Amino acid sequence: MLILAARRARAQWPLLSSLLVVLVIGTTLLGTSALLITQTSQRAVEVSATRADPDDVTVTAYVSGVGAADARSVADDTRSVLTSSVAPFTATTVTRASSAMRLLPVADDAGSGVKGGGYLAGIEDLPARAALVSGRWPQKPREAAVLQSTARLLGLKVGDPVRLGAELGRDPRPPVTVVVAAVVRPLQDAGWDRDPLGGAGYDPDPAESTSARQIHAYGPFLVDLDELFAGGSALSRLEVSARPDLSAPTSRGLDELTASLLRADRRLGGTLGDRIEIERVSSPLPQVLINARNQQQLTSGAVLALAVIGLLLTVIALALAVRLTTGVRTGESDLLAAIGISRRQFTAVAAAEAGGIAVLAVALAVPGSSLLYSALTHLPPLAGAGLTAGVTVTAAQLLVVVCGAVGLAGLHMLLATRPATGSGDRRSQRELLARSGLDVLLLGLAAVGWWQLRSQPAAGGYRADAVRVLAPALILAAGAAVALRILPPLLRLAERLAGRARGFTPALAASGAARRPQALAAGLLICLGCAAATFGTAFGSTWQTSQRDQADLSVGTDLAVSLAAVPVTGQSAVVREATGGTVGPVARQNIVVGQWLGGPDSVPRLVAVDTRHADALLRGRIDDDRDWAEVTGPLRPSAPVTGVALPRNGSLTLTGTVTGSKPVTVSPQLILEDATGLRTACTPDPLPLDGRRHPIAGCAPIAGLRLVGVALPILGETGVQHVAAVDATLTLPAAGTDSGPAGPAWSVRPASTETSQLNGEKVSFDGVRLRLSAAVSFADPTPASRVLVATAFPDPGPIPVVVSSRFAATVGAHRGSELTFAVDQTAVDAVVSDIVPQVPSAPGAAAVLADVDSLTRVMAVRGNVNSPVTDWWVGDPARADAAERAGALRLGAVSTRTGETDRLTGSPLRASYPAVLRVLVVAAVVLLLGGVLLHVVCDVQARAVEVARLRGIGVSRNGIRAALIGEHALVVLPLLAAGTGVGALASYLVAPLLIRSDTGAAAVPAAVAHWPWGAEAILLAVLVGACALAVGAAVFVQASRADAAHLRVAS
Amino acid sequence: MTGALLSVQGVHRTFGTGPSAVHALNDVSFEVEPGTMVALVGRSGSGKTTLLNVIGGLDRPDAGTVVVDGLDVTGLDEDGLSRLRRERVSYVFQTFGLIPVLSAAENVGVPLRLAKSDPAEREKRVALLLDLVGLADHAQQRPGELSGGQQQRVAIARALAASPRLLIADEPTGQLDAETGLAVMALLRGVVESEGVTAVVATHDPVMMALADRVIRIADGEVTC
Repeated sequence: MLILAARRARAQWPLLSSLLVVLVIGTTLLGTSALLITQTSQRAVEVSATRADPDDVTVTAYVSGVGAADARSVADDTRSVLTSSVAPFTATTVTRASSAMRLLPVADDAGSGVKGGGYLAGIEDLPARAALVSGRWPQKPREAAVLQSTARLLGLKVGDPVRLGAELGRDPRPPVTVVVAAVVRPLQDAGWDRDPLGGAGYDPDPAESTSARQIHAYGPFLVDLDELFAGGSALSRLEVSARPDLSAPTSRGLDELTASLLRADRRLGGTLGDRIEIERVSSPLPQVLINARNQQQLTSGAVLALAVIGLLLTVIALALAVRLTTGVRTGESDLLAAIGISRRQFTAVAAAEAGGIAVLAVALAVPGSSLLYSALTHLPPLAGAGLTAGVTVTAAQLLVVVCGAVGLAGLHMLLATRPATGSGDRRSQRELLARSGLDVLLLGLAAVGWWQLRSQPAAGGYRADAVRVLAPALILAAGAAVALRILPPLLRLAERLAGRARGFTPALAASGAARRPQALAAGLLICLGCAAATFGTAFGSTWQTSQRDQADLSVGTDLAVSLAAVPVTGQSAVVREATGGTVGPVARQNIVVGQWLGGPDSVPRLVAVDTRHADALLRGRIDDDRDWAEVTGPLRPSAPVTGVALPRNGSLTLTGTVTGSKPVTVSPQLILEDATGLRTACTPDPLPLDGRRHPIAGCAPIAGLRLVGVALPILGETGVQHVAAVDATLTLPAAGTDSGPAGPAWSVRPASTETSQLNGEKVSFDGVRLRLSAAVSFADPTPASRVLVATAFPDPGPIPVVVSSRFAATVGAHRGSELTFAVDQTAVDAVVSDIVPQVPSAPGAAAVLADVDSLTRVMAVRGNVNSPVTDWWVGDPARADAAERAGALRLGAVSTRTGETDRLTGSPLRASYPAVLRVLVVAAVVLLLGGVLLHVVCDVQARAVEVARLRGIGVSRNGIRAALIGEHALVVLPLLAAGTGVGALASYLVAPLLIRSDTGAAAVPAAVAHWPWGAEAILLAVLVGACALAVGAAVFVQASRADAAHLRVAS
Repeated sequence: MTGALLSVQGVHRTFGTGPSAVHALNDVSFEVEPGTMVALVGRSGSGKTTLLNVIGGLDRPDAGTVVVDGLDVTGLDEDGLSRLRRERVSYVFQTFGLIPVLSAAENVGVPLRLAKSDPAEREKRVALLLDLVGLADHAQQRPGELSGGQQQRVAIARALAASPRLLIADEPTGQLDAETGLAVMALLRGVVESEGVTAVVATHDPVMMALADRVIRIADGEVTC
C-alpha cells in the first residue's frame, strides 16, 4: 500500500502540492502569530520601557523630618534602598536636600512683625542646574551660592557673609554662617520645581514652614551636599531620585523591577525606621510597566482573534483541498475497495500521506514564519515602533507550528477516510439536517459572541477572553454559512432568467452554476476568505480611525500648549508667531458642581474656549450631523466686550478721596484683554486715597490691550463701625478710547453681596476718566467683602454651557437645567444649552464646555481677576514645525492631535495590531485564490470529457469558454459579493466592539465602523481580477483540451 | 462524386511518430448514400472511433478528404467544424454524452439553443422528439435519474433535434444490456426512416448489423469491404 501511496503521490503531485501549500500557509500564519504574540509582545514592552518619558522612569524617595545626626546615614540608606529597588538595572541617582528653616536677619515687612527665614540646601551637580551669574562655584566649607532673586532681595553680593539663625522647630540647631561664593540663575527644567520655594528665591508665605509662625522665606543657600549632611542641620526635606538605565531591558528584568518598586516604599520605611518622620517612594514607573503589560495582553488578544480567523480559513481551505482530492480519487478508491483493500489499510495510507505532508509543511512553515515575521518587523508600523527583529526560531513558534500541522494533518486524514456520501435520499436528508443544525449552532454561537462583546463593561479588562478571541471568527463563519444558504435560490433565479434566452451559453452557464453540486464546493472558502479580507481591511481602517478619534478628543484641538505658569499678557502673540493658525486661550480646570466634587475617576471638569473660533479650535467627533461651531453657537456672548484701548506703555493715574479720618488704600486690579481675548489682571501696589494723583505704570507693556474691567479692593482698618465715602478716579491715557466719546457702558457692583459692606456704588466714564464711588463699611474683617468691580460689560448672569453625557447623567441635567459650579472658588451660574457625548480634551469625563469670554466675565463681576486660562489651543497651525516651535517657547507641555495619533497607532505595544491585520488580509486573499485555483483545476480534470462532448455536439471552443466562464462567474462573483457583505456586516457589528483604548477600557469616543471604500474597492478588484485570471486560464486550457482524444477516452 | 451524402476518400490518420506510430486509418475510402444506415464494424482499436471523429470534424485526417452533404470537412476551420456539427452532423456517444445538470428536455433542446431557435418552437420540437423516443413522461428528469437506455434515447433525440443530415453513433449500445440495446437500435432504425437522416453507426452488435442498410468493415485502419 505504501508503494501505491508513493506512486500515487508521484502521479498526483499537483493535488498534493495544493494540500501542502494550504497547510504551509496555515501553519506559517500560526507561526507568525506565535512570534508576534511572544517575541514582539515581549520586545514591545522592552522598547516601550526604553522609550518611556524620563519622568516616567524616575523613582524618587521623599524623606522629611531628618535629625541632624542622622542626615548622612539616612541619605546613604535612602540611596541604597533606591538603587537596590531598581535592580537588576543600574541607576544614576540625584540627591537634593534642604534644611529646616532658620531665622534670617532681615527687616520685617513694613512693621508687620513677620520674620525672615532662610534655609540651606544641597544638590548634586549644581553647575548643571544653574548658571553662574557672578563669583565661583562653592568649593570650601561654609561657602554658598544664592539665587539671583534672593541676592537682589537681600542685597547680597559675592563675598557677603550671611548668618542663618537657629532652626525653627522643636529641636532647633545652632546658627550657621555662610559666605556667598556665587550668585546663580536657575536653569529651566533642572528640577527647581522641587525646591521648597520652587526656585523663586523668595516666598512671602511659604507653604512649607517648619513652625506655625509666618515667615518671609528666602533661599536656598546652596552649599555642598556633604557639608549639608555633616553641618549639623536637620533636614526638612531629603529627596533622592534614581533613574534606572532601561536602554537594554529584558522582559523578565522589567517584571522584577515592577515587583521590586512596588515593595520599595515598605523597604525604605523599614530601613529608615524612626530616624525620620515621613518617608515615601514615588514613581510612575511600576504603573507604566503594568500598563505596558496590560496593553501587551490586550494586543495579544487581538492578534489571537485574527489568527483564529486565519486558522479557520486554513481549515476550510484544507477541507476543500482534501475533498477535491478525494473526489478526483473516487474511481481509484472504488477500485481498491473492490479488490479488497480494507478500511484500515486505507486509513494507514491516508495517515502516511497526511503525515508526510505535515512534516513537509512544518519544514517549510518554521523558516517561512520566521522569514515572514522578520519581514513584517522591517515594515511599518513595527519597524517604526522599534520592533525590528532578525530571523529567529523560538520554542513557542516551533510548538505552535507543529501542533497546527498535526491538527491539520488529523483533519486531512479524517476527511480523506470519511465514507463517501451516499446518494440515497435518506442519507442526503440526514446530511442536510446536520448541515442545517450546524448552521443554526454557528448562528447561535455568533449571536452569543456578539451579545457578549456588546455587553462587555466599559472599564474592560486586558486579558484575552475566549469571547473576544472567538467572536470575530464565529460571526464571520456564521455570516458565510448564511450567505451560502442564500446563494442557491439566487442562482436558481438566475437560471430561470437565463433559461428564457434563446442562446445556449447563458442557459448552460446558469444551469451549471445552479445545479452542479461541485459548483459551490469552494463556496465557503471564497465567501469566508473574502469576508475575512474585507473585514480585516475595514477593521484596520476602523482601528486607525478610532485611534484618530481618540487622539482628536483627547487633545481637543490641533495643538495644545498646557501652560506651566499663569498666562501673561501678550503671550498669545508669541504662540501665534511660533505656530500660525488660530490661537485661543482655554481654561481647563477641575470644578465643583454644587456640592459634587466628583469621585476618584470622575472629577467634573470645565473646558472653556473661545467659541468664536470653535470650528477652527475644537476637535473631536460629535456623533451627529452638527459641528462644534453649531454646538457652541449658543455659548457665544451676544455682544463682544469693546473695553477701552490702551496705548502701549500708556500711563494711567489713580486719584481718590475718602471721607473720615482713617486712612484707606485701594489696590486696583485692571482687567486687560489682549487680541485673542485673554484677560489678565495688572495689579499695582496699593495706593492711598489721599486726593493726589498716583501713576500706575507697566500695565500696558504691549499694544492692543483693552481695559475691560477694574476690581477695586478697598483696604482700611476693619472691625470698627466706620463708614466712609470712597471716590476713586482712574484716568486713562488721553487717546485711550476708540469707542466713541463716552466709551462703553460701564456697570459697577460689589464683588460680594453677602456682607453689604459696599452701598450706593456708582460708576461713570467720560472716555478718559473712569470714576467709581461707594459708601464703604469696614465692619466686616474680610477684605473680600469690600471689592468694588466695574466692568465694560453687564453681569452676564447664568452663562450657557454644553455638558457631556456623563455629566448630564451624573447630575441629572438636561437642556435648560440650571447649575452652579465653582471655578477658582468663584461661583458660576450656568444653564445647560446642549448635551454632547464628549467634551474636547475631556474624553469620558463629566465635563462642562463653556465660552471663555463668558466665563471670565462672570469671574470678573465676582471680583476674581485671576485668569482661569491654563492652555493655548491652536487650530490649523500654519507651520509644519509648529509643535517644535511651540515647545521651544518653553511655556509648557505641547501636545498635538497628530502626535497623539502617532503615539496611539505607532506605540510598540500596539503596532502588532495593523501588522497582523495585514497578514490576515494577505493570507485570506492567498487562501481564497488558492481555493479558487484548486477548484477550477479540479473542474478542468473532472469535466474534461463533458466539455469534449460539448464540442461533439457543435459548441465552439469560444462558446465553451463563455459558458464555463459564465458558470464560474455566476458562482464566484456572488460569493465575493456575499463575502463582502458578510465582511461589511461583521465590520459594522464587531469591529467597533473589539477596539479598546490604550488603557483597555472602551474607546472614547466609541469606535465607529469605518468602511474604507477605496481600499475595499482595490481589494475586491484584486480578488475579482485574480479569480478571473485563474478561471480564465483554467477554462482556456479546458476548452483547448476538448478534443477527440477525450472522446476516445470516454468511449 | 455521385449523390452520396458522405464521401470519404483516401483518409489517413496516424498517432505518434517513429517506430511507435500507430496508423489508425490507412487510405480509407467509401461513400454513403442519403437516407441509409451504415454499420461500421470492427474490433476494438480497429479505427472505428477515429474514423467517426474524422467524419464529424472532431479530428483532422493527415491525408484524404471527407465530404459531408457536399461540404469538404477537411477544409473547414474550427468555426466551420463547429457549425458543421451544429447544422449537419450529430453525434450519439457510447456513454450518451448528456449534460448532467440539464434535464432530458433541456439536453434535447441544446442543439436548438445553439441554433438560437425560437423558444416556443424549441419547446414544441423537444416535446415531439421526446415523444418520438418514448420519453415524454421523463422530460424533466436529469440524466442521473434515467436508466442507461433512457439516457441513450435522450441522446438520440438530442442528435435529431437540429435535423442533421448525418447522424454518427459510436457504439450506442455499448453500455446497454441486450434488450435495451435492441430497443435503442430499433429506435435508430426508426428515426433514420422517419426523419430521412443518414446514419453511420459503429458497432459490434450483430443485431445492429442486421438492421443496417450496409455494413462497412474496418480492420487495422483499413476498410476491408
